[in-house]
Amino acid sequence: MPQSLSSDDDAALARRIAAAAPERDKVAEAEVCRRFVPRVRLFGLRRLRSEAAAADLAQEVLIIVLQKLRDGSIREIERLAAFVLGTARQCIVDSRRNASRRERILEAFPVDFPSLVEEGMEHLDSNRLRDCLQGLAERERAVLMMSFYDDHPADVVGIELGLSVANVRVIRHRGIQRLRECMKLDRELS
Amino acid sequence: MSDPGCATPMPLADLLSYWLGEMDQVSEAELEQHFFDCEECSARLARLAQLGRAIKHEIRAGRLSALLPARFIQRLKNAGMRVREYRMQPGGSISCTIAPDDDLVVTHLHAELGNVRRLDVIVDEGEGDVRRLQDVAFDPAAGEVVLFPCSADVRKLGVATLRVELVAVSDGAERALGSYTLNHSPHR
Repeated sequence: MPQSLSSDDDAALARRIAAAAPERDKVAEAEVCRRFVPRVRLFGLRRLRSEAAAADLAQEVLIIVLQKLRDGSIREIERLAAFVLGTARQCIVDSRRNASRRERILEAFPVDFPSLVEEGMEHLDSNRLRDCLQGLAERERAVLMMSFYDDHPADVVGIELGLSVANVRVIRHRGIQRLRECMKLDRELS
Repeated sequence: MSDPGCATPMPLADLLSYWLGEMDQVSEAELEQHFFDCEECSARLARLAQLGRAIKHEIRAGRLSALLPARFIQRLKNAGMRVREYRMQPGGSISCTIAPDDDLVVTHLHAELGNVRRLDVIVDEGEGDVRRLQDVAFDPAAGEVVLFPCSADVRKLGVATLRVELVAVSDGAERALGSYTLNHSPHR
């Protein structure tokens, strides 16, 4: 990808896509996907707690966004990120109301998007992770296991352990900090 | 704008609270707007999510050991994990194993924990290999803690005896709550 494109701001990309219509500026569209698919997938994972549903959401949202860009129907092109987020929120609301609409969109616009949230991220060394987790204090390891097994908030973990919410948060934060240092993720999780 | 540098990076504590669903709606919406705008913070959130998934994977693969509450073991079972469970009273002794189709093997160590402030667990694996696990997490009202060994390590064991002791610690004084003997043999 040319350096100039990856350093373009979102609005410049949006203008390129709109200017190319009815043709497609595939390079600019791919850059929009590169930037926003991981963010929509993260948002979807957090809201839907399902990898498959988050992947579907990202595909649906980016199809809608690219269509709108091609149509020139996004008013505040300088706020593309806000538009993508708003579309993602609306898609979740709509999907609860109308699952068949989502199916129609996905069938009508099959597009290959980046496959993983972690795409481009360095793989975590599982042996190192295990050693680092085992090196934590007993409470820290227990709280991290109970928090991340199925992404439970502090109040649920606190009930299971007979601890206050504040206490769980302190133990969890300390555990994550130590894990971060041990895994040498200081820069990425600062 | 997707700026690779961030002038106001989201604190790690906020990313954690967001990911684990603890924020109120207003704070959540603000954080979402920030990470959609910010390549750096979205990458940090993705890394945190990746770390969380990796921890889950280690649990499911039976590669971690811990002392955990029984309610968490129930969560694992509800999620479809095959858990072999043993239950012991203080002074008890059991014969135990792990079968090929078990995902995990755990032992419920029952004891009177009502007035315990700090709980230590002494694990004696024989031949002088004694470890003291200090200040383990426990629910005083539950009347038990669950020994959750690394299944991968248990599978490698031959015939072995493990002695476990629960110790209440308070103001420098110690009180034995119970000892438990686990006689492990490989599955036949």
